[in-house]
Amino acid sequence: MIEVRELTKNYGPHKAVDRLSFSVKKGEVVGFLGPNGAGKTTTMKIITGFMPPSAGSVTVAGFDVFEDPIEVKKRIGYLPETPPVYGEMTVESYLKFVARLKGVEKSKLSAQVERAIEKTDLGSVRKRMIQNLSKGYRQRVGISQALVSEPEVLILDEPTVGLDPRQVAEVRKLIKDLAGHHTIILSTHILPEVQATCERIIIINRGRIAAEDSLDGLSRRMSGSARVHVRVVDMKDSVVGDLRSTPGVQGVVARGGGVIEIDTDGSKGITPKLAERVVTAGCGLLELREERINLEDVFLKLTTSEENQNKGATL
Amino acid sequence: MRGALVIAGKDLRNIFASPLFYVIAGVCCIAWTILFIVSVAAFLQPQMQMMSGADGMNLHFTVFAKHISLVNLVMIFAVAAISMRLFPDEKRQRTFDLLLTAPVTATDITLGKLIAGTVTAWALVLVSLLYPLSLVFWGHLDWGPLACSYIGLLLLVACYVAIDMFTSSLTQSTVVAVILALIFNVLLWFLGAAADASESPLQRQVFEHLNVSTHYVNFLKGNFSVSGLIFFATVVFFFSFLTQRVVESTRWR
Ligand SMILES: Nc1ncnc2c1ncn2[C@@H]1O[C@H](COP(=O)(O)OP(=O)(O)OP(=O)(O)O)[C@@H](O)[C@H]1O
Ligand SMILES: [Mg+2]
Repeated sequence: MIEVRELTKNYGPHKAVDRLSFSVKKGEVVGFLGPNGAGKTTTMKIITGFMPPSAGSVTVAGFDVFEDPIEVKKRIGYLPETPPVYGEMTVESYLKFVARLKGVEKSKLSAQVERAIEKTDLGSVRKRMIQNLSKGYRQRVGISQALVSEPEVLILDEPTVGLDPRQVAEVRKLIKDLAGHHTIILSTHILPEVQATCERIIIINRGRIAAEDSLDGLSRRMSGSARVHVRVVDMKDSVVGDLRSTPGVQGVVARGGGVIEIDTDGSKGITPKLAERVVTAGCGLLELREERINLEDVFLKLTTSEENQNKGATL
Repeated sequence: MRGALVIAGKDLRNIFASPLFYVIAGVCCIAWTILFIVSVAAFLQPQMQMMSGADGMNLHFTVFAKHISLVNLVMIFAVAAISMRLFPDEKRQRTFDLLLTAPVTATDITLGKLIAGTVTAWALVLVSLLYPLSLVFWGHLDWGPLACSYIGLLLLVACYVAIDMFTSSLTQSTVVAVILALIFNVLLWFLGAAADASESPLQRQVFEHLNVSTHYVNFLKGNFSVSGLIFFATVVFFFSFLTQRVVESTRWR
């Protein structure tokens, strides 16, 4: 449904998105995850045809965003970071306007507006002016606006920002309900959000894809892995290399104070083997502790390690 | 085109629902009423009547011409005040993002804004037409020149809308939009003055054609001029084209 190939966006000398490629199948819900400034919003703006890429291509439902922008835009409902609402309009007249703008037929207009109001639970404020609504309600109007034309593709930039916990849950449920009928890309900083709603996760950092997997795959991959904390009296350089060469070890970091952190694939018997190596090296083992990694850590690890790499490259 | 009408409809509804429009209309009416009463009173002075005779033609040139010139002057400011919000409001509220990601072209957006601005401005001009029409019971109205002047006025006001729409597309600030709009309008009126300054006959002719006041006075005298029509249409088209380019280019920034 959505094909993104080698997408690059430069803001002057600054590369916001760097050769990003991925594809989203029909009916799939994909979560964009990444720290601030990762390039999530930029990527979404390009997919929606809001702005052109510096290089690369995007096709939606077979239409190239820059050759057939109108065809693409007809199929997309987009919630930008700031909900694009007119303060001086009422919720209902605003939604009607958006539906007309998106080319919804006259005969279906009221029904679709009603459905959008119902799905986002805006019935109680439908006659109110948008400027008098609270931030959370405005966000809901923004979501409603994206849904009103019943588009095939939904691009939601941080859809649950500013909502109260009950609404967050409702919106997540809504997104789950929409899955299957709509193809959805949503961005967020919040891990539980993708866990709750998405089938697939794309972690973006500094304009590049740091990881891409199904939610199951990612958590399986991660739930298996474990981190081993080791504290020794006498840190020897040789022990770090020794540990690193142990099969099943993914990374070793030596910190100050004799602390070593070892990332493993969590395979059976690896922790005792590591203990053995430390002891054989004669460092004086003080402490050894195994810790399971959760998705939060993966996110931090993926995004920070790359940052360190980049720093290393520039130094 | 469908998109243009949808956008124009939304803008018109918002303009006519806003207090700003009624404030502008109120101020316009006060100015027009005062001058109109004063000039009608002067026209009815016995000396005046004796000098020229109270026929329709005279009424047109003494009272209506003055009124129309004032309407023109007032509309420069009124159109600037109406148009200043056409684009800056969309940018400030981030609704420009909505328009740019909707299945409409930059041309649709521009046309929608032009239609909304023009309809609003023309509504004010039509209100000003009530003044001359109020004398219909008094008799001796010369319809030809009056109709012709108002056609000229509508065309001229459409030019102001196009120019002010363009300046509003350049900025996020309504204040900057108004100031730019007034500068551009003054420039439009001074363009013709270059005719007097130029030496070669060809240059003179070119500038004469670009002279707003020539065309405007033609219409005011009751001569419907095709070259005037072409001139006003060109100005509207030119500034709409520029606006369309600006709207299109916002994507590239
Ligand atoms: N209009 C712009 N001009 C210049 N640089 C920009 C512009 N918009 C974004 N950037 C830069 O591009 C990078 C990516 O920004 P983007 O908004 O896509 O990040 P994001 O992943 O959405 O972040 P957040 O989580 O904070 O929303 C940032 O470094 C940002 O500073
Ligand atoms: Mg963002």
